[in-house]
Amino acid sequence: MVALVPSLLRQELANLAEQDQRIDGRGQFESRQITLETNCLYNAEGSAKVTWGDTIIYAGVKFEMRTPWPDRPAEGSLMCSAELRPIAGRKYEPGPPSPESIELSRVVDRGIRESNCIDMSKLCIIPGEKVLGVMIDIHVLSDCGNIFDACALAAIAALRTAMIPAERFDIGEDYPLPISMTPTMSSFTRVGGRYVLDANEEEELGGDERVHITLGDEGHLHSLQKGLRGTLTPAEFAEILEVAQSRCAELAELVNSKEA
Amino acid sequence: MGGYGDIQLLRDDGLRLDGRKVDEMREVEIEAGILPAADGSAWVKHGLNIAVCAVYGPMEAHPRKIQRQDRAVIDVRYNMAPFSTSDRIRPGFNRRSREISKVTAEALESVVLVERYPRSKIRVEIEILAAEAGTRCVGLTAAAVALADAGIPMRDMIVGVAAGKIEGTVVLDLDKAEDNYGQADLPMGILPTTGEIAFLQMDGDLSVEEFNTCLEYNMKAAKEIHAIQIDALKRRYEQKMGGGV
Amino acid sequence: MSVSVMGAELRLVAPGEAIGAASGVRAGTGALIQGSEIIATRLGWVQQLNGVLSVDPVNAAYMPRSGDLVIGVVESVRNNLWFADVNGPFNGLLPMSLAPWKVEFGAAREQMDVGDVMLARVQEVDEAHNVVLTMKGVGLRRLKEGVMSKISMNLISRLRGENDQTLRALKEASDCRIIVAENGRVWVDGGPEGTAFMRKVIDLLREQGHMANFSQSLETMMNDAPGGVA
Repeated sequence: MVALVPSLLRQELANLAEQDQRIDGRGQFESRQITLETNCLYNAEGSAKVTWGDTIIYAGVKFEMRTPWPDRPAEGSLMCSAELRPIAGRKYEPGPPSPESIELSRVVDRGIRESNCIDMSKLCIIPGEKVLGVMIDIHVLSDCGNIFDACALAAIAALRTAMIPAERFDIGEDYPLPISMTPTMSSFTRVGGRYVLDANEEEELGGDERVHITLGDEGHLHSLQKGLRGTLTPAEFAEILEVAQSRCAELAELVNSKEA
Repeated sequence: MGGYGDIQLLRDDGLRLDGRKVDEMREVEIEAGILPAADGSAWVKHGLNIAVCAVYGPMEAHPRKIQRQDRAVIDVRYNMAPFSTSDRIRPGFNRRSREISKVTAEALESVVLVERYPRSKIRVEIEILAAEAGTRCVGLTAAAVALADAGIPMRDMIVGVAAGKIEGTVVLDLDKAEDNYGQADLPMGILPTTGEIAFLQMDGDLSVEEFNTCLEYNMKAAKEIHAIQIDALKRRYEQKMGGGV
Repeated sequence: MSVSVMGAELRLVAPGEAIGAASGVRAGTGALIQGSEIIATRLGWVQQLNGVLSVDPVNAAYMPRSGDLVIGVVESVRNNLWFADVNGPFNGLLPMSLAPWKVEFGAAREQMDVGDVMLARVQEVDEAHNVVLTMKGVGLRRLKEGVMSKISMNLISRLRGENDQTLRALKEASDCRIIVAENGRVWVDGGPEGTAFMRKVIDLLREQGHMANFSQSLETMMNDAPGGVA
């Protein structure tokens, strides 16, 4: 899955960075255009479609009735997985899940799980016997840069508009999944020597390491991940964290505007 | 098979549960060129089914063992998204998907001019986002549009259609209930201009006469879907030709 | 209905569609004789010229031909060979004997390494689609500066214009060196304003290259160009 990086691209990105410019004309911390659609998948109990620049993501929420984990008899469960299938891009060759695909899954999962936005005890139907399992599946249809943020957005939007199919499980009337917060992710990539928000595919190809920051409603950090080769300084982190504070709040507002 | 319990698939007025006539197709919508990363792509909604297809290629055929000296290999991956069915599908190796990928590739190899690209492969990635019976047909229809969008030469388009039998009556385009409780299912991949059959599967119980009716229904439906495929492709590029008239 | 620059109506056809009778006409690219008819094999615009009926495809992969000027990116280097991505189904091979430098065996990477960009020509393509490149020729060299973009095959002639007149105008307007290679890659080398201007031109080409009013939009863009009026 190694893509070929032309030397001219890295040079170009470095030259542009020196002049405080980006390859598509955006500002250093400016995002591409995002559209968010919810309730778009017929067979899913919650769903979202995100277009982020040319990146396209679908997320679907499915519920199951199951027996609880032995160490948590009165709690439901949450499972979040992201699939990076070959449809997403030429560089994605078929085969078992790549480390990149697994990292994507786990980073998005942590952002949602660690925020405790879903009160797992509310998913308990009969303690020790029956609990609800929440499963989010994220499907990348087109990778044109920054699939992390797009996947995280699709996942939380699908969760926030999900309905528990109580009638199908014979436990009453359908009701919305009890979810109390909207964690969102902002990702920064080192391009041409400095961090930028929301790298597009050329910037990712010619860029270096990336940092993913998931923040909750109070601006609290819920997950962090640094990927790929490279290092950052505490000062650089402080700068991007500040940008993340306002960006994540905007994204949360976008998600919350989708609820009925 | 036969009727299960108290499900009545054919109403007293002769129409089906969703109001369709026995030889009526579900609604089909197609868009071409919707995936920016792909060389060619298509989105097909057929009834409640949704399929998305991306084509990449031609490219060098890797691994070596799949390479053919005299022509291109069509490498199809048909996959159902976990959220596409009412019960979640666990991601991972799936025998049904593997079989459908194989016969879909073989159908496409019958219509794509593969001799133009020796030692190459053409990747066809079909993802089913919502499933309501007939997904392999929808996948085939989407693949043809994506291949045309990618500029891969073909001697005709190919259309996926299915007919079957419910409660002793032959019907066109089974929906989910009809597929679950019906008596036969006959999915086909048809070349609409020549009427050739490139994809053929069947399960259930059909007399020869019933089979012929199914065939007739499928051929007619293929022409209807073909027109929608062409319209989708032309709309994509005709809007690029617009302006300045 | 759609209108081409020349004012004649262009017909968009899909694979399998009949485009004419087979008698007295030959089938060109994108077309095939089937029985008594000629059918399209590609999605594209019907063209008839000198008794040949063909289809100009909307989309096509780059198929290298001998003599093509190409911009390649080195994908791997072995002892005395460079393998380059030339934007086609197969990589091109540049043997030491056709390189512009004298290189010691095993020292190929010192001249050109993985990721480096070259301006080369296709020396030969055999039936098995093996592509041999050469850098022996006027102007062929490693491209050490500048920026690279990719456009689809059918937009190459649009960018160049008839007799390269659009290309000449763009070079003047941007004050940049510009090479539009046969494999769909475009190389631009100049100052930051000129380079940024050319990026905008290529974006416009991608969005509107097939439209009849592209030339007009391009002219408008050139009037605001750093290098002055076209």
